Amino acid sequence: MDRRLKQELQAMFRAPAPVKKAAFLKCHRRRELGRWELAAVQAGHIRWWVWALSLGVFGVVLWAAAWPYPAMGLSCAAALTPVLALLAVAENGRARFYQMEELELACRVPRSSALLARMLALGLFHLALLGALIPALAVWGGIGTARAAGAYLLTPYCLTAALGMELTRRFRGREGLLACGGGAALVSGLGTLSVYRMPALYRPEDLPLWGMALAASAFAAGAEITLSLKERELRWN
Amino acid sequence: MAIDLEAQYDKIYRYCYYRLRDRERAEDVTQETFLRWFASDTYRDRGQLLHYLYTVARHLCADEARRPPVHALPEELPGREPDPLLSIALRSELDKLSPEDRELVLLRCVNGEPMAVLCKLYGQSRFALRRRLDKILKTLKDALE
Repeated sequence: MDRRLKQELQAMFRAPAPVKKAAFLKCHRRRELGRWELAAVQAGHIRWWVWALSLGVFGVVLWAAAWPYPAMGLSCAAALTPVLALLAVAENGRARFYQMEELELACRVPRSSALLARMLALGLFHLALLGALIPALAVWGGIGTARAAGAYLLTPYCLTAALGMELTRRFRGREGLLACGGGAALVSGLGTLSVYRMPALYRPEDLPLWGMALAASAFAAGAEITLSLKERELRWN
Repeated sequence: MAIDLEAQYDKIYRYCYYRLRDRERAEDVTQETFLRWFASDTYRDRGQLLHYLYTVARHLCADEARRPPVHALPEELPGREPDPLLSIALRSELDKLSPEDRELVLLRCVNGEPMAVLCKLYGQSRFALRRRLDKILKTLKDALE
């Protein structure tokens, strides 16, 4: 827009300075929640046993990884990482499972912000746990950091999360929870089976394939997160 | 989520002042607008705060304008004095516009509100509103030249 015209218009529409503005703003402040504050509030709403179970899974994998038999730790990681993802998905879709989404929609904070804050709180916690497991598996399991992270931890986690969120969007109520559990069990079972039956899948030469699998599952999980955040309105069956 | 309340206050106040031409009443209406937002049980943070505030302010101004006017002393306006010749030309062009078009110029060119907010406020598509605004601005620019 023309600068001169803008200046003239601003001069034309100018208003006398407000007199009571400072006093008003000083007396009346609407409580605003920042992003991290909202994440902290939402973290408080996550059920205690979700944190406890996550820590339990972490402890079991760490304990198994410390065994002298390396396959034990690796199979445990492949089997239990989907459980972590299942916990995260189940917690985020809690309102949907109990068919109480209208309550979430009625809150002053948008549903998408609350969901994102909850995902952030639990996701960061899980990321910290997985981050702590990576060196343990890499050292005790005798595999590289990249293999431990890609093949045994992050790919099953992201895959289960993507699958779980997709199933959550398709099924409502108890069926959704069961479908998520089924999806996690499938990934967990396949992971455990392949550690024992198809160890060739985890060779260092196949690392690029695992990298691609991780990228694909992370992309799918990201897309699912975007879709669930965008899903603002209730869809009645 | 957090908004700059001070900046929004100025914008809503300027809008109310333009509608009411009375500093005292404009300020009362501005404060009433914000108080209604603070106390609202139905407002949800959906990124539509400006639309909400302008809608409340517009309705309150309409209500206020129906009341008998109180003749206040003319205000001393701060800031740069406009060029008198240009000002006359521009003023006469602005006066030819419909009240809604003048309001649109204020909101877009002076308050700098995003097109998305204006589209919701006027119930028009972005394309239609852009075309309307371009047409108005071209007339005003011609008046300046």
